[in-house]
Order: sequence, then structure tokens, then C-alpha cells
Amino acid sequence: METVAIPTKAKISLIAITKQYITPRTGQTTLAVSDVSLNIQQGEFLCIVGPSGCGKSTILSMIAGLTKPSSGTISMDGNAIHGPGRERGVVFQDYALFPWKTVRENIEFGPRFRDRAPLSTAARRELVDHYIELVSLNGSEDKYPHELSGGMRQRCAFARALANEPDVLLMDEPFAALDAQTRLILQEELLRIWGEELPRDKRKTVVFITHGIDEAVFLADRVAVMSNHPGQIKMEKPIGLPRPRNEGVRLTTDFQKLVDEIWQLIRHDAYEATIGKAGIKQA
Amino acid sequence: MALSRRFLPFVLPLALLILWQAGVSTLQPGPRTPTPGSVVSTAWSLISTGQLPLAMILSLGRVLTGFVSAAVCAILIGFLMAVSPSIGRNLDPLMESFRPIAPIALLPLAILWFGTGTSAAAFIVGYAAFFPILINTIQGVRSIDPSLPRAARTLGVGLPAIIRNVILPGALPNIFVGARLGLGLAWSSIIAAELAVGAKTGDAGSGGIGQMMFVFYAYSVDLSGIIVCMIAVGVVALVIDRGLRAVEKRLLPWKQ
Amino acid sequence: MSLEEKTADRTSSPRASGVPSAVSTMLIYLRSMGIFALIWYAGAWWIGNPVLLPSPVAVVQSLFSLIASGEVASNAASSLQRLAMGFAGAALIGIPLGLLMGMSRILYALVDPLIELLRPISGIAWIPLGMFILGVGETLPTAIMFYGAFFPIVINTLIGVRSVDERLIQAAKVLGVGRSSIILNVVLPASLPNILVGLRLGAGAAWTAMVAAELIGAPSGLGFAVEWYRELLMTPSVLAFVFLIGLFGYLFDKLLRALQTAITPWANISREVI
Repeated sequence: METVAIPTKAKISLIAITKQYITPRTGQTTLAVSDVSLNIQQGEFLCIVGPSGCGKSTILSMIAGLTKPSSGTISMDGNAIHGPGRERGVVFQDYALFPWKTVRENIEFGPRFRDRAPLSTAARRELVDHYIELVSLNGSEDKYPHELSGGMRQRCAFARALANEPDVLLMDEPFAALDAQTRLILQEELLRIWGEELPRDKRKTVVFITHGIDEAVFLADRVAVMSNHPGQIKMEKPIGLPRPRNEGVRLTTDFQKLVDEIWQLIRHDAYEATIGKAGIKQA
Repeated sequence: MALSRRFLPFVLPLALLILWQAGVSTLQPGPRTPTPGSVVSTAWSLISTGQLPLAMILSLGRVLTGFVSAAVCAILIGFLMAVSPSIGRNLDPLMESFRPIAPIALLPLAILWFGTGTSAAAFIVGYAAFFPILINTIQGVRSIDPSLPRAARTLGVGLPAIIRNVILPGALPNIFVGARLGLGLAWSSIIAAELAVGAKTGDAGSGGIGQMMFVFYAYSVDLSGIIVCMIAVGVVALVIDRGLRAVEKRLLPWKQ
Repeated sequence: MSLEEKTADRTSSPRASGVPSAVSTMLIYLRSMGIFALIWYAGAWWIGNPVLLPSPVAVVQSLFSLIASGEVASNAASSLQRLAMGFAGAALIGIPLGLLMGMSRILYALVDPLIELLRPISGIAWIPLGMFILGVGETLPTAIMFYGAFFPIVINTLIGVRSVDERLIQAAKVLGVGRSSIILNVVLPASLPNILVGLRLGAGAAWTAMVAAELIGAPSGLGFAVEWYRELLMTPSVLAFVFLIGLFGYLFDKLLRALQTAITPWANISREVI
């Protein structure tokens, strides 16, 4: 896809990002992400969908600063990203909660131990109480992660990222490990906490990775659709569904149309990723 | 049924005790042959005169000296080896070469270097405890889920705080396992060290439970005394093991 | 810092550190051991007392002369013979006992207390009493080694049987497989990884116990030789035999590990109990 001129107001911009891996044993190089350019606006909720292995998690990891791109630049507010920082919070797929810290200690981890501007005990307490309240974990503050249900762990990880007060929230398939009902509930919760009814400049910028097309359409302002081999952005689809959104949106024809349009686009890649090249002909 | 089940655990130990007593009284091999009764009375006199507790304290003191210094070194080196691949790679051959050498085999050398006193025993004990702690520390650091330090970095947390709050607590369960194994090995090596020192220098040495056993063996020919010492050794080993498990449970409440 | 790199870029950095080739491993090994030998050499020169710390050259020389004189062969032979007997005895009794205890609650309730009573008393603590009962000679080290190897073997076999996934047995039952066939084809293979762990730990414990037993109460063997040459103040020979004890210990462990991966390639043991 062609490089788009960067509007100066882009919160995060990726310019011609490429990432290759070297498999240690064989020495082969794999192109995971190829020439991806993407602009994410302040307050935008962007979902990236694509079949497994299309490099969508790699993109998130590069925005987080945990992985360096092989070529290209990523910048936030016009400054190049060189490493992880508190202005970009991450919610990991497997939550990555510290097993030896309670819910409260996990949530206060960033404000307490971060290098820049850590908070005093009193300020921390107030902040953490607020976020525990926000994700409805009251009563479970002193439990350890292994004592929580999957949905509670997810909310704890979410609160941990929020409590560090980042500008941008990066979420890597955060609901993938949950059962279907919990996922539906947490999707609505996520929109509520994000602040759907707030004006754009007050909202957090969110980059949300998922392989669920309906999840992406339900949550996003815009969906970036990725394809396999190599990982590229095939299409960027604005989602014009009105906000605030609730369960009812899923039943509208607009919603169904958008889901179907995206599915048709990645169908081929998804089949290939699932059952291999031989399966495609039959499909 | 349930009642007879409850008695099952006592059957074999009791049967052996009865067999022992019956064997001695029918065969009557000699006045020095220990019986359950003579063991109990010897135990009582050794405890009431303070001999046994004193020897025990001496041995435990040596074990603690050796163990603590070994633990400090092993945790430090293990940490460095696990965190830095280049240090790990270069020290690994050395560690793997020394690990198979049984600690007792170094006893003659320790006697040459340190004489027959406390330092030789502490050296052997330290050597015995070092490798289990080292290996479990390395294992512990390496087993930490890599997404945890990643998560800490995305929260803007720096390396020193990550080491203190992520790497160290993550490795702690394994370090505990290593310490428990190391302390157990240290305790059985102290017995060997003291026994051998007693055996080779031909005197009672300076106390210690192993030397006490040697004195009973070589001079007073007191088999009941030897058995009392053996039981004491077992009790201490058991207390060490259960005690450390309890501490582990208290200190690591996040482990199920 | 390398930790940063490792954790940050786990997939992309081609584990440059993690998977070095066999050649570079060998080179690193030689380099590390070479530096160690140099430090040793310098230390020996600095101390200047071959009784306290002989140079590595003297140790290698005495190792060769001990090999040439046949002393190494005869002492190693008697140690290995004792190991073979003690270890085989422990395995032959320990494995069936562990299997039976795992399958019969009554036997477990009967035998387990005795095992738990005796286990904390290390083999080494039996040496003085053993010298009375068995005398100084062949039997004592063998018996101590049997005792040392026995507990890890029984306990790990028991754990193996206990940890067999109940669903595997149910799956076999549903398929119409009989009881004896289930024991042979499900319980035994499923507990095999733990049994092998027990054997490996048992061999290690037996080897350590052997050195102690020979040092104090045997007229021959590697442990005896170490002590013999210490009394003669021939430190190079002491170190040569210490080296041999380490070498044999290492080789057993390697052998049993190879056996483990060859027999149970599917196993991924996370818990080892001594």
C-alpha cells in the first residue's frame, strides 16, 4: 500500500514499517510485516484485524517499543519511538499480571515503581482506589491473580495499564482467552471506561488487536484489515456506527454489512492460515 | 475398616521394635547389644547431661556458617549467570565440571588446607550446599515469564526496580527449593565431615554430632549412643525440611 | 543490558546467545577451563608448596602414572562394582515397591511411615553402626549405597504412579482394555519418566554416599585412595582421584540422562524429588 502523507495532528504514525525475523536454527528470514504505513488520530479507537500470524501483534509490540522495526519509523506526537514508555500503556493477551502481587499491588505497580514522576503513597492510594472502582474489582483488592477468574484478571490488567495514566492504550487480543459471554460484557465495559460520550480530545487513543471481526466493528472508529505473507494492511475501513454503542448495534444491517465486507476481504487468508494451501481450493 | 486403616501406619514400625527387643532377649548376644530400652535410657542421659544438645549446636553452627556463605555466593553468581548470557556461557563449563565432585571427596583436601577444625567442616558444607542453590537460582530466573519484565517496561519501570520487583520475586520459589535441598545436603555432609575428621585425627575433635558418633564407635563402643545420634540426625533433617517448607509457605503466599 | 534485549526481543533476536553451535560451545569450554588452569598454575607457583596446592601439571603427571601403574583401574573397579551392586539392588526392590505402593492403599499405609521415618537419616549416618555390624570391607559401602539410592527410587516411582492422569485409565477402560493390560500399557509407561528421574537421583546419592563410606570404612576404592594419598601427603595423587570421582559422577549422570531422553522422549519432567 502507498505511503500516505502524514497529517500533522496524527497521534501515532507508522511510516513504511518492515520487520523480518531470522529463524535461529535454519537461518531463514521471514518477513512478518512488510511496508506498513498507518496514522492513528488523537482519541481514535483503531482495531487491527487479520488472520493468525499476519504480524498484527508485531505491529503493536513495535508501537509499544518492545520490538524494533527492521526499517521505517514509528513516532508519537512527532517524536520517534525508541523504547517502551509510560505514555503508551499495554494490555497483554495473557494479561502478564505479577503473580506475587495482589490486585492492588499490580495496579499500583506503574505509579509506584516507574522511573519518571512516581506517586506518593497517599496519591497512589486514591488513584488505585479509583481504578479498582472503575473496573469493579472492589472486594478483590487483596487477592492474588491465581485467585481471580479470567474476566477479573483481564479487568485487573486493564486497570494496571490505565492507572499509569497513559495517552495511548495498546491492547493485544485482550479478550481472546475469555468465554463468549464474558467477552461481550467486557466489550461494552471497555467502551464505557474509554468514555464514548467524551469529546475526542479527552479520550484515550486506543490500538486494539483482535481476530474477531464483529469485535472490531463493535468497538472501532476505524478497522485496519491485514493480510498474510507478508503482513500488510489490505484496507482501512471507517466504522460510522453511531456512539454510544450497545448490544442493539449488533442487530443492525449496517453492522452485519460491515462485518461481512471485512470477512470477504480476509476469507482467503484465514482459510490459508487455518487449513493450509491445499484446503483453499476446496473452500 | 476405617479403624483398622488408622492403625496400619503403626504396624510396621511397632513390629520392628518388638522384633528387635525379642531378638536381643532370646539370642542374648552380649551386654553391649542395644535394645529399645537401652536406647531410650542413653538418649535420656545424653540429653539431660547436655552432651547431645551441645554437640548438636556445634554441628548446626558449622552448617549455618557454611550454608549462609554458600547461599550468598550461589544466589549472586546464579543471578549473574542467568541474567547475562555471556557470563552464563563462560562460567557454565566451570560449574558443570565441579558439580559432579562429591563434597566428601574434597574432605582430605579441606583437612590439608584448613586443618581438622570448624573451617574444614564449613568448607565441605558450603561446597555441598552451593550447587543446588546455584542451579535452582539460574532455573528460577530463566523460568520467569518474559512477558512480565516486558509489562513492567511498558509501565515505564527501570531496570533496578524490575530486578527487585519482577526478577527476584519470580525466582524466589526456585531459590527456596535450592536452599532446602542445599541445607539438607549440608546437614548430611557435616556428619560425614565430622565422622571422617574424628576417624582420621584419632581424637574426639571439638564436639559435633558426627564426632560424638565417632567417639561412641571407636572409644566407648556404645551402640545405643550411636543409635541415639542417628535418630537425632534424622530429627534435625526432618525439622530443617519441614521448617523451610513452612517458611516458604509464609513468604510465598501467591503460590497455591 | 542483555536481560533487556532477551526479554524485549525474544523472537527476533535469533537467540544469538541461546543456541550456539557445538563448535563454539567446545571453544568456550576450552577457553573457560584454560583460564581456570592458568589461575590454578599461577596460584600454585605463588604458594610454592606442592603439598598444599600442586600445579595442574603435577596433577596430570600423577594421574598418568597412576593409570600406568594400574592403581586407577583397580580402585575404580572396586568402586564401580559396589555401585553396580548397591544401585541394582535398590532399583530391583525400589521400583516394584513403589509401583505396588502406588496401586495399593493398604500397602502404602503400611510401608510409608517406615520410609518417612528412615529417610531423614542419611546413609552417611549409618556408617558407624554399619562398621560394627558389617565390619570394614566390601559389604559396608555397598549397603550404604543401596540405602542412599533406595529412597529417591521408591519415592519417585510412587509419585509417577500417583501422577498418572486418571482420564488415561478411564480412556483405556472405555476402550475395553483389561486391568493387567492397563497396568502394563498405561500405568507403567506413564510413570516411567518419574522412575527414570528416581534412578538418576538415586545413582547420584549412591555415588556421594560411596565416597563417604570408602573414605571411612573400606580398604579399597576411589574414596579410599583419596584418603590414602592424603595421609602420605601426596597431594597431586589426591587431586587426581578427586578428579576421577567427579568424572565418573558426571559420566553416570550423562548416561542416565541419555537413557531418559531415549526411553521417554515425550516426557517433560518439571518436578524432581530427592
